[in-house]
Amino acid sequence: MSDDQSGPETTPGPAAAIRAESVTKRFPGVLANDRVDFHVEVGEVHTLLGENGAGKSTLAAMLCGLYQPDQGQILRAGSPVHLRSPREGLHHGIGMVHQHFRLVDRFTVAENVVLGDPYQASLLNQREIDGRVGELGDQFGLPVEPRARISDLTVGQRQRVEIVKMLYRGADVLLLDEPTAVLTPPEVDALFETVRAMIAVDKAVVFISHKLGEVMAISDRVTVMRAGVVTGEVATADTSPRHLAELMVGRPVEVATRRGSHADDPDREIGIAGRGLKLSQGGQVLIDDVDIEVRRGEILGIAGVAGNGQRPIARALAGVVPPDEGTVTICGAEVTGKGPKAARRAGLAFVPEDRLGTGLVPDLSLTDNMLLTRPRGFFVDRRSARAEVAEAIDDYEIKTPGPDAEARLLSGGNAQKVLLARELHGLGEPDGPQALVVSSPTRGLDIGAAEFVRGLLHEAREKGAAVLVISEDLDEVRSLADRVAVLYRGSIALEGQTDDLDLDEIGLAMAGFGRGAS
Amino acid sequence: MIPFQFRLERRLERKWWYGVLTPVLSVVAALIAGGIFLSIEGFNPWTVYRELFEASFTTRFGFTDSVTLAIPLILTGLSAAVVFRMNIFNIGAEGQLYFGAIFGSWAGLALADGMPWVIGAMIVLVASAIGGALWAAPAALFKAFFGTSEIITTLMLTFIALFFMRYLIFGSDSYWRDPETTNFPQGRRVPIGARFPLWSDTRLHWGLVVVLLIVVLVWVMIRYTRVGFDMNVVGSSETSARYAGISAKRTVIVALLLSGGLAGLAGGAEVAGRAYALDPNGLELGLGFTGIVVAALARYNPFGVVVVAVFIAGLQNAGVALQGLPGDRVPVEVSLMLQGAILLFAIGGEVFSQNRLKITRTSRRTTTVDGAAEGATA
Repeated sequence: MSDDQSGPETTPGPAAAIRAESVTKRFPGVLANDRVDFHVEVGEVHTLLGENGAGKSTLAAMLCGLYQPDQGQILRAGSPVHLRSPREGLHHGIGMVHQHFRLVDRFTVAENVVLGDPYQASLLNQREIDGRVGELGDQFGLPVEPRARISDLTVGQRQRVEIVKMLYRGADVLLLDEPTAVLTPPEVDALFETVRAMIAVDKAVVFISHKLGEVMAISDRVTVMRAGVVTGEVATADTSPRHLAELMVGRPVEVATRRGSHADDPDREIGIAGRGLKLSQGGQVLIDDVDIEVRRGEILGIAGVAGNGQRPIARALAGVVPPDEGTVTICGAEVTGKGPKAARRAGLAFVPEDRLGTGLVPDLSLTDNMLLTRPRGFFVDRRSARAEVAEAIDDYEIKTPGPDAEARLLSGGNAQKVLLARELHGLGEPDGPQALVVSSPTRGLDIGAAEFVRGLLHEAREKGAAVLVISEDLDEVRSLADRVAVLYRGSIALEGQTDDLDLDEIGLAMAGFGRGAS
Repeated sequence: MIPFQFRLERRLERKWWYGVLTPVLSVVAALIAGGIFLSIEGFNPWTVYRELFEASFTTRFGFTDSVTLAIPLILTGLSAAVVFRMNIFNIGAEGQLYFGAIFGSWAGLALADGMPWVIGAMIVLVASAIGGALWAAPAALFKAFFGTSEIITTLMLTFIALFFMRYLIFGSDSYWRDPETTNFPQGRRVPIGARFPLWSDTRLHWGLVVVLLIVVLVWVMIRYTRVGFDMNVVGSSETSARYAGISAKRTVIVALLLSGGLAGLAGGAEVAGRAYALDPNGLELGLGFTGIVVAALARYNPFGVVVVAVFIAGLQNAGVALQGLPGDRVPVEVSLMLQGAILLFAIGGEVFSQNRLKITRTSRRTTTVDGAAEGATA
């Protein structure tokens, strides 16, 4: 490198660390990227912001060599490169940290770091690798134990391993795809420290996100995408979260805080009650003595980092798995261990976190999926179900060829709408659902659809349903729920009225520093 | 290096006619492939194929014989279709068929004497369905409660059934064995009351009507009843089934018993319509195994099973007829080879009905970053 004669702030203008010039990528039926221009300078954090499906991940995949553009080209430090695989991308110093980690669980950190490295000697020099991993860890604030097995690490630690892996292979351009989605607030802060350390040594970082707060905190510049095209490129200093949100959605949005109008009434009947719930599986404690009570007309939000018992609790309350100990009562009827049908008869509706594959059967038509949780006679009544789907397609603006289309063809947002249409059907009526358990209601949904879904949950509360919302999106829980409970390792670490709890307190509880935890 | 890159992309939409086109094209492709082999062997493929079609489809006796053989194939085809579509692989229809025949012939011998055939033959069929279902029951229970692979258990049960049936006739003085014949053991013939009457001077029997009725019933069950709905759900996603409170165990057991019962019916239909006795030689035709081929080609559609069963039955009959050709004898194996080729092409065709082939030119351009050059220009 011979850029010492140029000033410290001015990098050679045209030669961005990486640049996409008018790249276009088509998938069957989708124009994922339409003549997208994007560039990252050396020593800057550039955020790629957009809703799900806006084309951010497609662009990132082309930048790292996972996909090849149909038109346009990628330039690395000013020269066009033709990246046919992520390995070629790495060869050019471009590394991507995926949302879903590419690590071998049974291997150690060091083994994962060198796995697939074409420049690695056939015989591993364990000490040298350990030394280098430790060095990189110190330099960039990524403490990892080289000899630790991946399966023993937390999600945050695994992410560090991914970053170290890329740095070890000599990546100078790092693409981080939704890196904060799986992290606790303190871990997010640590990640940001690492990002700053990387740009301090003239690496370039592409930060992919849809969380406005984080985007404002970490990035130098922001490129906003919507529906496959770039809608704006701004310097973070010259913009506001509201402005970014408008660029993302194409219209002003309000992240409204809504509380139930009858939430404080203690006389209201209890809709969902789990008492002394315990559940273990294969020696692992999933739920450890949890008490949950949701009154009619109230939303209880369950917050926590993924994998701290959210899924088992939802399943236990919905009757999908019987708890080892404790009781489940839905609208006054005890349904412990009686199965999902009994819970539904008592008035429960359940929206599981996996839409296609659990909540919906991928190979069946929308009509048949509408029937999945309905009581059925000897013959299946498709006529009313078909009418119901047609109605839902109109009311929920579901994009699908029609009621006979297979559920697997739905996008994530539309699948969630179908699921909610089924589960909320008859809400407010005496024979409709009186209690809701909803897991990850808006995960993977774009802002518009997410707002729509939150509106539905709010409406359910106003119609007198007891609503339990389980979500990893803390902002969502705080904006929607009257009360919040934080789960940590299968038990409730913190619980209280949403407006009485501050963000730090919740963050600490999520990380295991709640009351009663040591 | 080939300058093209081949890639399969999953089709988002499948047109309904792919389901018809795939088997038709695979038959055509198999005939072409078979024709090449026939030419190499010195036969004229046109003559052989014309002869083949005449023997099985275009003449009155040929066609009725094909339909007669199709009757058990339709039932074993249904047997495979109802479970294969749920990704449950009952490959033991053969053994369930034998057990159906054992139960059916027992019922015919013991109960049907002097009855009108409408009642007597029905008793045979009901007993054979029970026999087939019972023979599938161990596999069903082991799969539901212990997760044992039904592929292994149903296949092993088939061999037990095979040798048990041989033992009844060849190895013991059982109720089923004809006491009159001693030098070459045979099954005792069931009374007239247990037999389907034939249609005029053909070998086609009234069992066809019953079988077609069963086809409609199976279709209605799959399409319109709760049992069929639950089977669809469990077959597609067990997680969804658990979520909805549908018992996967119960559904798996019901499906396998139903499959076994249908295979058993095939045995009963053979006893009441063709063999008139528990006849190991007349039953060991691989009808159960061929049913799997039938179901696969019919894409597990009950009505498709009927069409494919007649076609496959025709091919099998033609194999025998080809032997009678003047000049060099065309080997019987030709029809087997064609069957195999059709299945092979159908499986290949399935790949293309679910995916489409994308051919792209691979560009040879590669450029590398030259850091030094960049530094020099700065």
